Amino acid sequence: MSRPPHIPRSVVVGLALAIVLDTVIQIAWKLGVSGGAPEAGTGAILRGALGNPWFYLAMLAFAAQLVNWLRVLARADLSFAQPFTALSYVTVLTLSSHSLHESLSPAKLAGVALIIVGVGCISRTPSTTSALP
Amino acid sequence: MSVKAIGLCLVVSAAAVESLAQLALKLGANGRALWVALGILFYGGEIVLYTLALHRLDVSVAFPLGSLCFVGVALLSRLVLGEKVGRVRACGVACILAGTVLIAL
Repeated sequence: MSRPPHIPRSVVVGLALAIVLDTVIQIAWKLGVSGGAPEAGTGAILRGALGNPWFYLAMLAFAAQLVNWLRVLARADLSFAQPFTALSYVTVLTLSSHSLHESLSPAKLAGVALIIVGVGCISRTPSTTSALP
Repeated sequence: MSVKAIGLCLVVSAAAVESLAQLALKLGANGRALWVALGILFYGGEIVLYTLALHRLDVSVAFPLGSLCFVGVALLSRLVLGEKVGRVRACGVACILAGTVLIAL
């Protein structure tokens, strides 16, 4: 492949921020809904979440993500920007395996590598369709 | 249906709704507030669906299935927005999907 196309700085910063916020959202959301029995009813699950501070942190990060994401989408293709959020899978896995003191299996490491290759592929495409020659 | 089957249905629905939310946000990103509002509405739906799914499933199962939204977004970007989703972008999405499946093993 030839030289990668230029990606505007504001898009790069926005994508990086999106990955950080996505990581916070995923972890806080899971912590916010982890209480109670698995067979609990919908109302009980939602009430449990509403009484859990982690759930509110997740929603706060969600609001910040919305503002940030609209700025990114105003400057880049949806099919270019959105796959970058897959990198938050890698950060979530790293953080959760660290906190649970689990070692990462070869399959998981291969999965992480594939996601990075996939996002790498997309980063080599022009960030907007209109920028194509 | 078992707890797990309900969880699987919920997480696939959440991925579909998230794809639509992304499409609406993209359509609203240049200041069309109605599309942004619709996107937020879809995200509200996704929050409920994914919250209920996560309660029934491990993140290791919910995550790769949730990644079907990358396929949904690529399709909607091409069909509705007319973005150029060429081979390299499609390969990228396929790698991401395969990667999330491996992570879940």
